[in-house]
Amino acid sequence: MLRTQNLQIRRGPKIVLTDITLELKPGEVLGVLGPNGAGKSTLLGALCGELRAHQGSVRLDERELSDWTGTSRAQRLAVLPQVSTLDFAFRVEEVVGMGRLPHQSGRVRDDEIVAAALHAADAEHLSGRSYLALSGGERQRVHLARVLAQLWPGEAGQTLLLDEPTSMLDPLHQHTTLQAVREFANRGAAVLVILHDLNLAARYCDRLLLLEGGRPVALDTPEQVLRPEPLKAVFGLEVLVQQHPERGHPLIIAR
Amino acid sequence: MRRSTRVAALCVGFFVSYHAAAAESPQRWVSAGGALSEWISALGGESKLVGVDTTSQHPESLKALPSIGYQRQLSAEGILSLRPQILVGTEETGPPPVLSQVRSAGVQVELFSAQPDLPTLQGNLQRLGKLLGADDQASQVFQAYQQQLDQQKIRVTRAQLKGKSPGVLLLLGHAGGKPLIAGKDTAADWLLQQAGGHNLATHTGYKPFSVESLVSLDPEVLVFADRALTGDAARAALFKENPILSSTRAAKDGRVMELDPTLLVGGLGPRLPDAMKKLSDAFYPDSAGQ
Amino acid sequence: MTILVKPRALFIGLILLCVLAIWLSLALGPVSLPLFDTLRAALRLVGVPIAPDGLEQAELILGQIRLPRTLLGLAVGGVLALSGVAMQGLFRNPLADPGLVGVSSGAALGAAIAIVGGSVFGGLPESFGPYVLSLCAFLGGLGVTALVYRLGRRNGQTHVATMLLAGIALTALAGSAVGLFTYLADDATLRTLTFWNLGSLNGASYSRLWPLLLISAGVALWLPRRAKALNALLLGESEAGHLGIDVERLKRELVFCTALGVGAAVAAAGMIGFVGLVVPHLVRLLAGPDHRVLLPASVLAGASLLLFADLVARLALAPAELPIGIVTAFIGAPFFLYLLLRGRA
Repeated sequence: MLRTQNLQIRRGPKIVLTDITLELKPGEVLGVLGPNGAGKSTLLGALCGELRAHQGSVRLDERELSDWTGTSRAQRLAVLPQVSTLDFAFRVEEVVGMGRLPHQSGRVRDDEIVAAALHAADAEHLSGRSYLALSGGERQRVHLARVLAQLWPGEAGQTLLLDEPTSMLDPLHQHTTLQAVREFANRGAAVLVILHDLNLAARYCDRLLLLEGGRPVALDTPEQVLRPEPLKAVFGLEVLVQQHPERGHPLIIAR
Repeated sequence: MRRSTRVAALCVGFFVSYHAAAAESPQRWVSAGGALSEWISALGGESKLVGVDTTSQHPESLKALPSIGYQRQLSAEGILSLRPQILVGTEETGPPPVLSQVRSAGVQVELFSAQPDLPTLQGNLQRLGKLLGADDQASQVFQAYQQQLDQQKIRVTRAQLKGKSPGVLLLLGHAGGKPLIAGKDTAADWLLQQAGGHNLATHTGYKPFSVESLVSLDPEVLVFADRALTGDAARAALFKENPILSSTRAAKDGRVMELDPTLLVGGLGPRLPDAMKKLSDAFYPDSAGQ
Repeated sequence: MTILVKPRALFIGLILLCVLAIWLSLALGPVSLPLFDTLRAALRLVGVPIAPDGLEQAELILGQIRLPRTLLGLAVGGVLALSGVAMQGLFRNPLADPGLVGVSSGAALGAAIAIVGGSVFGGLPESFGPYVLSLCAFLGGLGVTALVYRLGRRNGQTHVATMLLAGIALTALAGSAVGLFTYLADDATLRTLTFWNLGSLNGASYSRLWPLLLISAGVALWLPRRAKALNALLLGESEAGHLGIDVERLKRELVFCTALGVGAAVAAAGMIGFVGLVVPHLVRLLAGPDHRVLLPASVLAGASLLLFADLVARLALAPAELPIGIVTAFIGAPFFLYLLLRGRA
């Protein structure tokens, strides 16, 4: 399990994130919301070990994150960044196959997992094509398949961190992606996902963390967090909150 | 009867030994060094040359021979493809691994010193003479050369009684542009001095000068050697690329002399005395023709 | 685009090409040897008991001149191509070239110091000459690369972008230093320097060959083992880190292998350009960017290409010789322009 206590991150003399105490529970999807510059990506960076904490520490299974060796950590923790800078003409299966690097599962099993991961990310039809020939949204789904393959099939003890995985996707694929993430969590993995769309967050997340100016404003269920007053205070947006007619989760409508 | 037999035996002996000596001296020569090629030709060995390097341009007929490339970057197989029996060169000939490869192929490799002084030349000519089987010719050629140089010395001494030694600069250029000035320890410097001039450049080796310093030295005679052009074309190019030279005394007096650049490399060559004489005549116009 | 050639076909093709290049390199040259003599001499060299009569010249040409030259060409071509792949992986850019980390300009500087310094300080004994030159070039290459690497490190991490800029700056600095030495050089030394800068496989001998062979073999055996890690590095340094790869160590290895390999190649044969840039590109065009195929294929392709270039260098102006750097530039530059225009780069 990935957890942190009293986490503080500084950039130079400036405090960019503080007072974060968080536990990513198995089987749970935790959504991170907040305006631009609130510290969402900073939080993700700290949780995956890219940024060093000024105060507090990040622990994976009771061990400091920095104590983990590369391969064993990669078998438990996968990160999907917001953008990818891959500039070489690999085939789609080869890109997804890189997710199996930390494992010694053999060619046959790896190929099965790659196919399954592509299916889960709704990118099966892209198989055999060159990565450079794909659109932005298609590439995003290929990378999702890669991190899913890295932790396949997903179980308790594994953590998936996702930085805005739906930013370039059309409405259908926004849902299929988060549905795949949801199913991953249902198998036991812990998931943290940064989102911009409040309604997607409301539908797919078990808990929400609302950040503003580097500080946590709320950490609770969507029903508790997504209410007009905190949303107005943090986003400056006047909203109506209603119940989704079929599913019951909050539905946020801008006024 | 016995005397004529003895004479006959002696004649046969001479005949046989002469041919034996001729068979010993190598017949297929490759030369890597302009001056060496000239001396080989001067000693009558031109017909034995089967290949020369890029600096061997005199006599003109050598240019028709296969070229083995630049003397410092020879190719072993290239030389061996000419099936030579001997390779001659100077201390500049190389690279060394190629020379040892040529040696191990059974080719005789003889290196000569390129130092521009008479004792070295004498030694070189003696060796060349022996290798060509032209010992007598070699010593004759050397004596004639020495005489020419002695005459040159006398000429200069007499001329200097009448007039001062002129200030000279030698410019080595390529199609007129970016000339290098010959300083001390160069063959050019030696040549200028032998011709009775006073080299105004005090540095060592060949160095580029700013045109201003050239003009401030204000030489009385300019000697130029161009690697790309000859004759009037070279002269015109020199002044076109460096127009400020026309403000020197030498240019204004029309005392601008051309020199063949191949005379400046590879040690003393056979054409040097003539070049020296031409230079002296230009340096001391009053004494010219003596 | 999708792969044009499957790996197995590619390797078979490249191995055949390499064998052809080796054979032509041994069989052809300014000295025309009868084919039968070449065959017999070659067999004798590997120990087959054949009567040696009439084969002295063939054995000499083959054993002392062409064979060491062929081995040199194989080693230099292979290690330059391999270093090209390594640098294109390190900088994650298919336009990268081993010279970017400064190893080529450092080697040129070392050579200039040896060539010009030797003549200024009165010259060294003839027998030392070639060794000193190679050693200086090698140390120069390693030295400048070490400096570039050091400049690119901050807080225990290597910043590739900083390294790139440092490489550019130090290359310019080394270049001006070489310019200074050029100014101090006399005419003859200048020509030696110029020819060294154009590269040549001339004068190859076994004694000077073995350090390069050892190093090339080492690099060629080591880098392919990091093929999967190199693939992941192309995703990005943090992504590769998240996949469990020790990225700092990998970057260090890439720089070190390049410095050693290219340093040794330049020390042995002077500056030969474009091989490190062009060969990986060609192989990628045929077989895709997977380093498991790219690395070994580049070794074979680079070795073959250099041997073919050397054939041209030896035969075009026989009995004189073209510097091989001119031939590779002649092939490489137009190809590079073609790549740019076609938009594949």
